Amino acid sequence: MERCLFCGEMRGDPLSFHNLFSPEYAPGFCLSCREQLVPIDPRHCCRLCGRDLSRLDRNRVTEGTCSDCVKWANSGRNGLYVNNHALYHYNPFLKEMINQFKFRGDVRLADGFAAELTRAYRRIVHNCVREQSGILKRKPSFLLVPVPLSSERLLERGFNQADVLARQIGAPIVQALVRVRDEAKQSKKNRAERMRLRATPFQLNEKAAVSLSGHKILLIDDIYTTGATMRLAAEALAPARPDSIRSLTLIHG
Amino acid sequence: MLLLSRHLDQAPNYRADVQHFLFGREFRAEDLPFSEKLIRAHVKNGFISLRPGIMPLNENIFDLLGIRKKWLCARCGNRDQEAFAFCSCARCGKKCVYCRHCLNMGIVRSCTQLVTWQGPEPGFDRAFLDGRPLCKWDGVLSNEQQAAATAMKRTLAARESFLMWAVTGSGKTEIMYPAIEGQLRQGHHVALATPRTDVVRELLPRLRAAFPDVPISGLYGGSEEENLRAPLVISTAHQLIRYAGRFDCVFIDEVDAFPFHFDPMLEYAVHKAAKPGTPFAYLSATPPSELKNRFLSGSLKGVKLARRYHGHPLPIPRFRWIGSWQKLVQRGKLPSVLHEWLKNKMEAQQQVFVFVPSVSTAAALTELLQRNGFSRSAGVHSEDPLRHQKVADFRSGKLRLLVTTTILERGVTIANVQVGVVGADDPIFDEAALVQISGRVGRSAAYPNGDVVFFHNGKTLSMVRAVRHMVQMNQEGDR
Ligand SMILES: [Zn+2]
Ligand SMILES: [Zn+2]
Ligand SMILES: [Zn+2]
Ligand SMILES: [Zn+2]
Repeated sequence: MERCLFCGEMRGDPLSFHNLFSPEYAPGFCLSCREQLVPIDPRHCCRLCGRDLSRLDRNRVTEGTCSDCVKWANSGRNGLYVNNHALYHYNPFLKEMINQFKFRGDVRLADGFAAELTRAYRRIVHNCVREQSGILKRKPSFLLVPVPLSSERLLERGFNQADVLARQIGAPIVQALVRVRDEAKQSKKNRAERMRLRATPFQLNEKAAVSLSGHKILLIDDIYTTGATMRLAAEALAPARPDSIRSLTLIHG
Repeated sequence: MLLLSRHLDQAPNYRADVQHFLFGREFRAEDLPFSEKLIRAHVKNGFISLRPGIMPLNENIFDLLGIRKKWLCARCGNRDQEAFAFCSCARCGKKCVYCRHCLNMGIVRSCTQLVTWQGPEPGFDRAFLDGRPLCKWDGVLSNEQQAAATAMKRTLAARESFLMWAVTGSGKTEIMYPAIEGQLRQGHHVALATPRTDVVRELLPRLRAAFPDVPISGLYGGSEEENLRAPLVISTAHQLIRYAGRFDCVFIDEVDAFPFHFDPMLEYAVHKAAKPGTPFAYLSATPPSELKNRFLSGSLKGVKLARRYHGHPLPIPRFRWIGSWQKLVQRGKLPSVLHEWLKNKMEAQQQVFVFVPSVSTAAALTELLQRNGFSRSAGVHSEDPLRHQKVADFRSGKLRLLVTTTILERGVTIANVQVGVVGADDPIFDEAALVQISGRVGRSAAYPNGDVVFFHNGKTLSMVRAVRHMVQMNQEGDR
């Protein structure tokens, strides 16, 4: 039996065919930690930002879309950006985990999310197949683009959490973006301020850009908050002429 | 001669603020509030030492041959290989190993440098050393206690370690005072380390009252009371990790409660915090066998105090068979043996500690007791956020019955409390734990007797040994 990656207790999973016969029991979290995570059901989430709609006031939901996303659609700033998928609803427990992962530097925790991230990735690919019209359905190929940190922040932290998460998925990763400056502390700004699109902090990494043309892009980050970061990243990617841009985040917060 | 004077002329200098900040403490290079240039100059002149945060661990021939690579965290002493992980590090551009054990103090990676002071020791303000006694405790030590205190003081002054093997309730905190005073008078840095936050919280106000003019730091998880100029530090062993080569004398209270053999990291922290050659004073009612053997063979000096400060013997536990009580509790039934015993205690207006082997049984049993009419009862365990409040309510008498895991086995003193250990045969209750738990009873001079019952489903060696231990102590105390 393995220890929980987060709390260090024995995992205590009931023996199943799966873990009994798998040669390497995948690292992960114990039942009690998993129970404190709030997964977002993909069937009941905003089809644009991936948030859990059951937690939203009814009058803020229109045809499976939340009011924030309606605003984004009306703003005309979506461009090639299609939508976001998120695994978990933000809660104090996940905040603790993210704190340990991102700010204390315990990148090992990301291993515990590998299976869920991979499953979400497969679902995104599968949905794209279904959406294709015509008789010849090809399995689309996605390129993962981690949302970058500025070089100062990267040096300070020692790693980019988006990059660490992207590497859990096992699809090709392209470092197509460069962050030239950091956002001011997110928490200090109000929501309206954060939704406003200002000068982009992102630049296209010209060397990597050539490989993007015609491909579907999946931006990877730890959290989707207002969606501004994703739109700014998508705008910066647009000149490389990708087919479309989606995003996958661990959290909708 | 010429060479020497020229050398002195150019004697490199150091900055006093750097010296004071770094003396006896250890930091990651990136956490220092000084410029890199300044630090480098101090390193070059030998005032500051740097060492890598993660070191290869060579414990045996396989490690040396490099058949498997193992690691040691130089800050916390972690050598549990499962508590190390890899990251591709953007700081050094390589694959770094990092320690998962001490992340809350800032991550230590292979490329992290640990920094400490190795230049001259700074002068400290010792205004409190004005010749008058430092210890203002106005109690009186018994002849026996006084003899132990003197032996401890003399031995430590001669830079030798000392074991004080004293029964629970012998007043060993006060017996330390003369030795602490002696060390402080010599201008020494003194640490009093204990295993548990509760014990630090109990000791801190007592020592502050006893040594009112001495600056004292109290360090435990959640406290931020570090006073860099304090010559006396009362700390959990865990919090000592932040020090390196600071202390001239270390007192370790309740040394048996350090899970030293389970957690070599705490031992590492305590030794790292002390200067080389520092004498240790170990205090315990149930010394671990290694210390006991050294004491009995004469290689470790010490004193055995077999009598409580009030002169009465230790109450000896009784055994009561309770059957498979866990099954009963699961089915929502209170075992009748326990029910009867508790009812008698409540009717006699006595307060009761009920010790249980696990957090889950604490919760289940508390609920069951409350349902069975024991309304003024509560349960506590180490993660309980209300734990300090519940203990305070028990002290004040508001609560009559406290169900607890082993966290309250020591440190909490309540007059006329009675003790039941439910599941005393569980492996978590070893000899030392059972002696400590039994030691909760009869501590006050007003109520020197009391009832201790081990409710069990089959006697264990630990139970028998605990009783034998206490009987023997009583016999020695009578002599
Ligand atoms: Zn866990
Ligand atoms: Zn939405
Ligand atoms: Zn460590
Ligand atoms: Zn590194």
